[in-house]
Amino acid sequence: MSYEPKIIAFCCNWCSYAAADLAGTSRMQYPPNIRIIRVMCSGMVHPEMILKSLTGGADGVMVLG
Amino acid sequence: MLKNKTIGSVMVVGGGITGMQSALDLADAGYFVYLVERTGAIGGAMAQLDKTFPTNDCSM
Amino acid sequence: MTLCEVTDVAGSAGDFTVTVKENPRYVDMDKCIACGECATKCPKKVDDEYNASTGKRKAVYVKYAQAVPLKYQIDAEACIWLNKPGRCGACAKICPAGAINFDDTEKTHNINVGAVVLAPGFESFDPTGTEVFGYGEYPNVITAMQLERYLSASGPTEGHLVRPSDGKPVRKVAFLQCVGSRDENLCGNGYCSSVCCMYAIKEAVIAKDHVPGLATSIFYMDMRTHGKEFDEYYTRARKESGVRFVRCRVNGVEPQGDEGDLRLHYVNEKGQQIEEYFDMVVLSVGLQTPKHVLDLAKKADIRLTPHNFAAVSDFAPVSTSQAGIFTCGAFAGPKDIPQSVMEGSAAAAAAADILAPARNELTQEKTFPPERDILGEELRIGVFVCHCGSNIAGYVDVEDVANYADTLPGVAHVERNLFTCSQDTQELMVKVIKENQLNRIVVAACTPRTHEPLFHETIKAAGLNEYLFEMANIRNQNSWVHTGDKKAATQKAKDLTRMAVAKVAWQGPLQNFAVPITRNTLVIGGGLAGLAAAHNLARQGFPVDLVERSSVLGGNAIHLHNTWSGEHIPQRMYGLIKDVRNDDLITIHMETEVVEAEGYVGNFITTLRNKNNEKRSIEHGVTIVATGGTRLMPDEYGYRDHKEVVSAIEFDKLYEIRDKQVSSSNSFVFIQCVGSRDVDRNYCSKVCCTHSVQSAIELKKENPKRRIYILYRDMRTYSQRESLYKKAREMGVIFINYELHGKPKVNKVDGSFEVEVWDHVLHRPLLIPADMIILATAIIPNNGAKKLAQLYKVPLDNFGFFQEAHAKLRPVDFATEGLFVAGMAHYPKPVEESIAQALAASARAATLLSKKQVTLDGIKAQVDPDFCDGCALCVDVCPYHAITLIESKDDQGESHNLVEVNLAHCKGCGLCQGTCPKRGISVAGFTFKQLESQIEAALAV
Repeated sequence: MSYEPKIIAFCCNWCSYAAADLAGTSRMQYPPNIRIIRVMCSGMVHPEMILKSLTGGADGVMVLG
Repeated sequence: MLKNKTIGSVMVVGGGITGMQSALDLADAGYFVYLVERTGAIGGAMAQLDKTFPTNDCSM
Repeated sequence: MTLCEVTDVAGSAGDFTVTVKENPRYVDMDKCIACGECATKCPKKVDDEYNASTGKRKAVYVKYAQAVPLKYQIDAEACIWLNKPGRCGACAKICPAGAINFDDTEKTHNINVGAVVLAPGFESFDPTGTEVFGYGEYPNVITAMQLERYLSASGPTEGHLVRPSDGKPVRKVAFLQCVGSRDENLCGNGYCSSVCCMYAIKEAVIAKDHVPGLATSIFYMDMRTHGKEFDEYYTRARKESGVRFVRCRVNGVEPQGDEGDLRLHYVNEKGQQIEEYFDMVVLSVGLQTPKHVLDLAKKADIRLTPHNFAAVSDFAPVSTSQAGIFTCGAFAGPKDIPQSVMEGSAAAAAAADILAPARNELTQEKTFPPERDILGEELRIGVFVCHCGSNIAGYVDVEDVANYADTLPGVAHVERNLFTCSQDTQELMVKVIKENQLNRIVVAACTPRTHEPLFHETIKAAGLNEYLFEMANIRNQNSWVHTGDKKAATQKAKDLTRMAVAKVAWQGPLQNFAVPITRNTLVIGGGLAGLAAAHNLARQGFPVDLVERSSVLGGNAIHLHNTWSGEHIPQRMYGLIKDVRNDDLITIHMETEVVEAEGYVGNFITTLRNKNNEKRSIEHGVTIVATGGTRLMPDEYGYRDHKEVVSAIEFDKLYEIRDKQVSSSNSFVFIQCVGSRDVDRNYCSKVCCTHSVQSAIELKKENPKRRIYILYRDMRTYSQRESLYKKAREMGVIFINYELHGKPKVNKVDGSFEVEVWDHVLHRPLLIPADMIILATAIIPNNGAKKLAQLYKVPLDNFGFFQEAHAKLRPVDFATEGLFVAGMAHYPKPVEESIAQALAASARAATLLSKKQVTLDGIKAQVDPDFCDGCALCVDVCPYHAITLIESKDDQGESHNLVEVNLAHCKGCGLCQGTCPKRGISVAGFTFKQLESQIEAALAV
């Protein structure tokens, strides 16, 4: 089986989460490997959350804000 | 000049950006608003614009 | 009320009866689910008005993808069935909701209202048949609105700029300004449409972004970029984007060859005849009042100007000639978006002025059942999975997702809905929640950004705390972006649902937080804007404290003479000042300054200090900043050295008192843009062109033999002021254009003055003998603005004017709630625009003041005293200054350092949470535990 990475994305409610919504409205296609977690600001994401994702098995973490 | 009766409602004619702003402010200040629009949906001319200056924001 | 037209207005202010005709939609609004099946099947295609006829739509259609209401409608003129019943009916057959109703009929409503606000807008000038520019004849000549649609991602070419004639990419575009404006021969529209210069620049810049290497040229007479930040945009377009600007009027557009190329001929700035070729020509069409609006004005018996705009006074810019009927937006003259939005609010304030006694009589607050206490209950999560018509169900196996959700820990009930957001589903949800005693709700559907508030209301109606809720975004972030892979999209939908369930399990009830509002407003500045705002607020019944730094009320306006339309300013000002002085609800603080300010929306405390150094504190719910502007004292043109060189305001005074210096002078030279649109101050002071033209007309009227010269950069007599410019030219006032790099020079030769300026026609310097030289000096912010900005923590722009929350959509609000700006503190502007903004500020203030309290949501930072050790790292990072360090005593009486959150200041951004090394502070609804649960759930399979 081919390699399918799992990526956790922390998205700010006001910009990148809205952008991800807009990508949907515009029917832009992207690979289904990303799991978005909504936060109220990318500054909310504690370094421990990133470590927790990586140790929990995520192949990549994105913090978008 | 005003008669004794004053009705606490307003009709806003036109559902463009101006009419919507007027309707929202009136409703938020405690008046019942009828927003009347000639076409099938509100939004007016601004909804047709691609982007607006000076910040090039999307106009939606 | 859509598809509605006003057919009659009867009655008077406070009590009108308006007759409204509702045209048939032929689609049942309650049934239509906007799935779009009807439009797919409809065989009839017609030109799409929304796309300015650049594309096609069906006879059954929705105006645009984000339309509100998002309901289809049938175009009766185009529909095959409605024209010949029995012939088609494809839409009715396919509609899954049975919403098509060919028997729909026109309805008439009689509606009783206290006031009418007219915001009917404008139409673009239709250049068809103008011949000169070949619109309608040559396919590559298009209007600016059509270009707008070509550039839009939602337009007919999805943002690709191609030639209509052959679909080839465009390399060279010309914009022709003033088509249908400033031109009485072509169309009878002698006024300036005010917005076309700016939209042409914007379109040229955006088009260049879309097509690298695209050459854009704008052919114009005067570049009228007089709005806030517009001149900077103009400079950027020229210098950074490389848009070419050519000052000339193009004589005609002709085809070149058979390929669709176009040939323009014009006389350039050096007087040479030029022929140039372009792929595409864009006509910057002006604005005009549509026919149906003229009919409406007739029905409502409203007076119009000769240009067919609603006639208004400059001192009541949103009041029509009929009491109780108000106007806003382009109906009272062409204007841009921020000015229209301001007027929308201003009309609300003006209407509220007469309706204040009946406030809250017809509106009602929604009521909700008491909240159920879920403490101690075991988890009973309800999951609602939405099909969203085919939007989700078409790409995700919804049944599989629902079955999977049922297996998740804590889930007690699962439902599937065709549209979870529809009205009947809301009722169903309430029932299901009650019957199954659910205590957490997950909706797997679209985005919480648009739909969370709706579901909050629904679960509140079911007696649950509204925050016991989570959405899984399986549409925008799943079905719509993975349309080609149903298996993967279904798996991702399951994952997202699992994550939402895991998160909501740790969600407890949160309380919204209500802050009482002090129903008092502080207006800072006793000039025109401050007075107008205070006056209107008091008329609406709200008390006002008005602070003025000087010893007189009236500001700059009492030094002015006439408005552009000829209304006498001092007379109206004295009336307004008298009204304000006599109003019991207004307390005036003269020779008083603001020295301290604290608090937040609804609860400000400001300390004032008067000339005797006495301080007093004022509690107020709202603050309006109207500190105005002042004039620049120039260093140029010998202003400080010679009495013959005066500023425009000084000249007005000399003229008014019939000073000999004016009456004995024969030659007057006005120099525009002194200090404005310069290196340090790249903005337009907006009022000076009109002011100089008015002065010139007065001088000429008095003695037609006087020689009057106006040296200008661009004449910015925008909107209906254009008629003054025309009149001045007809009276023989001489207008000479100069550029920034070739400023005029003032020379003193043998005791008399001459002004030297480059003549573009003769290509040599022109020497004008001058008895008086009048400088149109820039308007600059008042010197107290900076201090005030610091006190209230609001931003200033590059030039020291106050910065509004959004240049287009929130032109009177500050980003901080409860603070508003009006008048020249915001940007230089004439009387009617200052008043409109003041009324707008009053309307925006009234939306807060009319409530007893402001409700703030429960998504706030909360401190965990078991973990917080008072290190205070969060105190500094908080952008809202919401966190303070305190000392608290524990059960044993020992004192500890601890942080405390001011909920009214906290916006729930969580910077504190990201910074805290001890997990001592986190945002409710996004706690460490909740985020961790989401991460774990995301990685669980």
